[in-house]
Amino acid sequence: MDRDSREWWERVAGGELAVQECAACGTPRFPARAFCPACRTEGWRWRAVEPVAEVESWIVSHRAFGGAGPGTVVRVRLAAARECAMYGRWLAGREPRAGELVRAIFSQGADRTLVDWAPME
Amino acid sequence: MAKRLLVSPLRDRAAIAGVGYTEFSKDSGVSTLTLACRAVLAALEDAGLTAGDVDGLATHRVGDSVAPGVVGPALGIHDPSWHLDQFGGGSVSHAVVAQAVLAVAAGMAETVVCYRAINARSEFRMGQAASAGPEAQYQVPYGLAAPLQHFAMEARLHMLKYGTKEEHFGQIAVRQRAFAVKNPRARMRTPITLDDYRASPWIAEPFRLLDCCLETDGACALVVTTAERTASLRRTPVLISAAAWGGGASFLSGGHMDTTETAAARLAPRLYGMAGLGPADVDVAQLYDCFTYSVLVQLEDYGFCAKGEGGPYVASGEGPPVNTHGGFLSEGYVHGINHIAEAVSQLRGEAGDRQVAGAEVALSTAQPGYVLPATSALILRRG
Repeated sequence: MDRDSREWWERVAGGELAVQECAACGTPRFPARAFCPACRTEGWRWRAVEPVAEVESWIVSHRAFGGAGPGTVVRVRLAAARECAMYGRWLAGREPRAGELVRAIFSQGADRTLVDWAPME
Repeated sequence: MAKRLLVSPLRDRAAIAGVGYTEFSKDSGVSTLTLACRAVLAALEDAGLTAGDVDGLATHRVGDSVAPGVVGPALGIHDPSWHLDQFGGGSVSHAVVAQAVLAVAAGMAETVVCYRAINARSEFRMGQAASAGPEAQYQVPYGLAAPLQHFAMEARLHMLKYGTKEEHFGQIAVRQRAFAVKNPRARMRTPITLDDYRASPWIAEPFRLLDCCLETDGACALVVTTAERTASLRRTPVLISAAAWGGGASFLSGGHMDTTETAAARLAPRLYGMAGLGPADVDVAQLYDCFTYSVLVQLEDYGFCAKGEGGPYVASGEGPPVNTHGGFLSEGYVHGINHIAEAVSQLRGEAGDRQVAGAEVALSTAQPGYVLPATSALILRRG
């Protein structure tokens, strides 16, 4: 994790899924960083959001990449801020469905708490 | 029509006067410096020039190869008046030549050799290279690390959004292999069918092995000089009618809401405008094919068909021949420059059994801007 993102990860470690918003114009931004791309100012605030998202796409890796084993990785867009597209592991015994609502699962990774995704039911 | 009035003063000012290759293999057995020297000398030989004529050297790399400051002295080229050591991968492959155009047009150098030398199979496994930059921390811990996985994610999105089918990707692989069969330089020269495609193993769904390019050891070089000078050189000049590079958006940042549109969609009007040409004028297209999907999405973003219609367009067989060397999928992956070299061969009428009859205008493109948020492209014309 880099300096711009440390607080986002710290909030995740505390069980909170947060969206960084521009303090001046309210534009959400993800990944976390100092400048707002809309109004180019530096201030921001954190808004805890309901950890719910919509499945946009996914892959099923049949071999390990980057030290992580085979498995399904999803890209989701947060229900509370569709501008925020995030990746995570898919924690279910079936394939994801396009557009389905999913919930965040906070899982312990090698060096930090990660945000994975599972079906709502 | 207004765009045609904006034709750049750089149009057709520079030309490609020579092309050089090393062998493409799984294990070159030599250093990237040796590969670079071989390709540079081969390109000069092709142009009828010598190392003593070179006053500019340019490459791009991602920490995997040798800089112009190493290649120059190794070939006795001291004090070149211009050089470029561009950081970046496939997305900047064509920007290197674009910048050489600026150098020769501005008189900073007269004879620039652009090269790319990689041992992308035996030394630096390009396909294993993990994402870098501030977004990687949101990807790699989940096992999303390799370019292949990112492009697979985009391909799936295109399938979901537009109904693109795996057969469309398969047709791209099959067609490019058919060209490679006719290309003595190609690494894969056994014909394949759609059934072979469907039988090839999954790597990361929706991509199978035959959706993926060939990590390759090899080098390629191009001699860029002024258009006037090529008149006195021995090969048919290939004019650089347009050279463009530009931005885009990465997978996540900037609130990018639709990643089925690449940076190429924004660059294309500028590129065509510079040449005063449009997609209908393109006789042969060499489209960056790290994966089959990148060809399909560029057919849309470079205006050969509408957004979302890439699948049916591929199935129809319409449009100019694409990746006539076999592409990275079947000739080999030299990170972009071998697309430009093939375009030159086609425009010279020297592409042998795979020659596109009457080819006058070629489009050659870089990685369309997913991995790094930038892309670049050239329009070349027989002089």
